[in-house]
Amino acid sequence: MLCVVPPSATGVESCYLIMSSALLRFLGPTPLSRRKALWGIALVAPNTLGLFFFFGIPVLMAFSTSLQEWNAIKPATFIGLDNFTRLADDPTFWNALENTFKLLLMTVPAEIALALGVAILLNQPLAGRSFFRAAYFLPVVTSTVAASVVWTWIFQPRYGIINSTLSLFGVGEIKWLTEPSLALIPVAVVAIWQRVGFDMVLFLAGLQSIPGVLYEAALIDGASTWQRFRHVTLPMLSPTTFLVTVLAVVNAFQIFDQVYIMTLRTVPGGVGGSATTLTYFLYRRAFTNSEFGYASAVALVLFVIILAVTIIQLRTQRYWVYYESEEG
Amino acid sequence: MRRTNRHVAVALITILLISAFALPVFAQGDEGDATIQAEPCAEPGDLTMWVWDENWAAIIGDAIDQWTADYCAGASVDLQVQPWGQYWDLLKTSASGGDMPDVFNMSQDRFFFYADNDAVLDLQPYWDQYGVDTTVWGTGLIDPYRWGEAQDLYAGPVNWDTIAIMYNKDMFDAAGVEYPTADWTWDDFAEKATALTNPEADQYGALVYMEYQAGYPNWIAATGTTPVVNAERTECTLDDEGSLEALNFLRGLLDEGAMPTVSTVGGSSADDAFSFFASGKVAMVTAGSWKLPDAVDQLTFNWDVVQLPKNPTTERSRSILHAVGYVASARTENPDLAANLILYLVSDEGAKFFAEGSGVSPANPNPDLQQIWVDSFGDADVNIQAYIDAMQDSQGVTVFDEIWDAMNSELVVQIFDLGVPVEDAVADTCAFIDTQLEAQ
Repeated sequence: MLCVVPPSATGVESCYLIMSSALLRFLGPTPLSRRKALWGIALVAPNTLGLFFFFGIPVLMAFSTSLQEWNAIKPATFIGLDNFTRLADDPTFWNALENTFKLLLMTVPAEIALALGVAILLNQPLAGRSFFRAAYFLPVVTSTVAASVVWTWIFQPRYGIINSTLSLFGVGEIKWLTEPSLALIPVAVVAIWQRVGFDMVLFLAGLQSIPGVLYEAALIDGASTWQRFRHVTLPMLSPTTFLVTVLAVVNAFQIFDQVYIMTLRTVPGGVGGSATTLTYFLYRRAFTNSEFGYASAVALVLFVIILAVTIIQLRTQRYWVYYESEEG
Repeated sequence: MRRTNRHVAVALITILLISAFALPVFAQGDEGDATIQAEPCAEPGDLTMWVWDENWAAIIGDAIDQWTADYCAGASVDLQVQPWGQYWDLLKTSASGGDMPDVFNMSQDRFFFYADNDAVLDLQPYWDQYGVDTTVWGTGLIDPYRWGEAQDLYAGPVNWDTIAIMYNKDMFDAAGVEYPTADWTWDDFAEKATALTNPEADQYGALVYMEYQAGYPNWIAATGTTPVVNAERTECTLDDEGSLEALNFLRGLLDEGAMPTVSTVGGSSADDAFSFFASGKVAMVTAGSWKLPDAVDQLTFNWDVVQLPKNPTTERSRSILHAVGYVASARTENPDLAANLILYLVSDEGAKFFAEGSGVSPANPNPDLQQIWVDSFGDADVNIQAYIDAMQDSQGVTVFDEIWDAMNSELVVQIFDLGVPVEDAVADTCAFIDTQLEAQ
C-alpha cells in the first residue's frame, strides 16, 4: 500500500492507480469477498481508530515535544536537540538507565524460568490442575497498584512478614524499602510475581502443541526424562520462549507502578534515586518538574532502546529458535 | 525637596485624621458584625470548580447553593472532585490543554509555579473593589499567596492548619509521667519522651520528625531559623546553626531509642506517624489541626493536645502554618463572577459552612466562626485551643514543589532511618535545593 510518490503529476496519478488496484486486490476478487473484507474492516475500525487517536497521535506529538522546552502552561519554545545533549550530561538519567537494565536482568530470566517450571508442572495430570492454573494467573489480573500496596506491607522492615520470618533465624532488620542497595529487590519481586502467570499461559499453550509422537519416539530410543526435556521440549517450545522473552523484555523496560507505589511512603523513587527506572524518571520530570520537553526526550530514548533490543532479539532468533514447518 | 516633604506631611496628617475618625466605626462593629461581607454578583454565568477533598466538596457545594440563592441567582457552578493523588497532574494537563477550571483549590507550596507562569488570576483588584481588608487574615495564611512587584493577593484563604502535639494520656499514666503544659521546653519534652519509652513493650516516647508541615521544620522554626528555604527563596537554610541544633536534638532522641525509625513506622508521612500513634505504639506525636476529626473518631485511648515545646534559648515554639486557597484561572471567561464566588466562600457566610461541617478551621478570623469550629467537636474533652494559640507565633511555607521530596522524605529517611550523620545529610539536601533555587 505504501507508495513513494515521484514529484510529478503523472507520478501522483500512477500512484493513485497503484493504490486503488492494491486496495481492490486487498479486498478480494469477487463482490462477496469484498463485502466480507469490508465487514472485517468495519469491525476492527473502532479499535484501530482508538489506537490511532489515543496512541498514535500522542506518540507523534512526543517527537516534536522532545525538541521543545515546554512546562505545560507557557507556550513551548523550539530548542533543537538541547534536551538530548542535556540528557547525556544528566547523572540522574544515567542512574535511571542503569536501574532499568538491572531490573531487566533481575526479572526476565527469573520470570521465564519460573513460568516454564510452573507450566511444565501444570501440564501434568495433577489433581486440582485447573485451580492452580487459575491461582498462578490471578496476579496478572490483579491491579498492580493494589498488589504493590500489599507487597509494601510484606516488605515492611519492622512488622512485615518477610523480616518477621527472617528474624526467627536471627537475621536483623533489613530495610528493604529505604536501603539504596536493596531498593530494586522488592520492585523486581513484585514485577516477577505479576508476570509469571501470563508467561505460564503462553508456555502451556506451547507445551500442548508439541505432538505426542515425538515423546513416544524419544521413549522408544531410550531417552531419559532430562533428555526428552532437553532435546524435545526445549527445541519444540523455542518459538514460544522467543515470544515470551520479547514480551518480558519490553515489559521490564516499562516497570513503573511498582516503583511508584512501593516507594511512595518512604522516598519516592528510592533514596538517591535508587529505585528510579526510566519510566519513573520520565514521569517525575514531566509532572513534578514540569519539563515536558525533557520528559519526551526520555520517552524517545526509551523507545529507541526497546526498538534496538527487540531488533537484536529478532535477528538472533535464527540461532536458537526452531520452527517445525521450515525444516521438517 | 522641602515642598515634597510638606506634601507628604499633609498627606500623612490627612490619612491620620481619616483613620482617627474611621477607627471607631470599625471598633463598633467588633462583635457580631461581619469580618468579610459577601456581595451580590454583577451578572450570573457558568463556572467550573475543582477541589481535591470529598468532604470539602460537599461543604463547598452547600455553600455554592446558598451563594446562588442569596447573591447570584441564575449562576451555575460545575463542582468536581479530583482526588489528591491525581489533582496536580490533572491540573497541569488541563493547563496544557488551555482549559483549567475557573476556580480551584491551591496549596501554598504549588502556588509559585502557577503564578510564575501567569496561570492564576490577580484577585487584588477585586479585594479592593469589594473593600476587603486583607490584613484580617494572618500573614502566614496569605503571604505565600502574594505575587509580583505590588505583592498582590492572588488567593482567598480557605482554612488554617497549625501543628501541636497529641499525646496518649493512658501511656503517661502508666509510666507515671506528668502531662505536659503549654510552657514546657525541649528539655522537658526529651525527658518525658525518654521516660515514656519501653523497648520491651515496643513503645516509643515520641515521633515528631516526619515530613514538612507536621515534622522537623517546626523545631527548626523554634530556633529562629526559617526552615528549609529562607523567606526570599534564595538559599537553603538547612545547614544554618538553628537547623543543625534542631535536627541534632531530634536525632539524639532517635539514637537513644525514644523515637522509632522510618522503617519501624513504615513511612515518612505525617499520616504514617498518626497511624502509629493511633495504634498505641508512641506516646507523643506532632499532628496538624486537620487531624482532629480523625483523632476524635479513631483514637481508642484517652488523649489530649498541647502546644509544641519551647526552644530553651529562644523560649519560643513556632508552628508551621498552612492555608489552602481558592484561586481563579487567569484565562477564565468570567473573572468577575469567579472573584465574586471566591469572595462569598471566604466571607463570614460562606466560611460558616466550613466551621460547622468539616472539622476544618476556617481562615476567616471572625471569633464567632472559630468558636463554631471548636464547638463542632461536640463534647470531645481535648484542648483544641492549643491549635488556635499556635497561630500566634507561626511560620508560613517557604518551600515549593520541586524540592518537596528531597527535603521531606529523602532528608528524613537519611537522618532518621539510614543513620546518615545530620551534617552529611543536610549538605546533600542543600546542594540539591540550591541548584533548584538557581533554576528558578
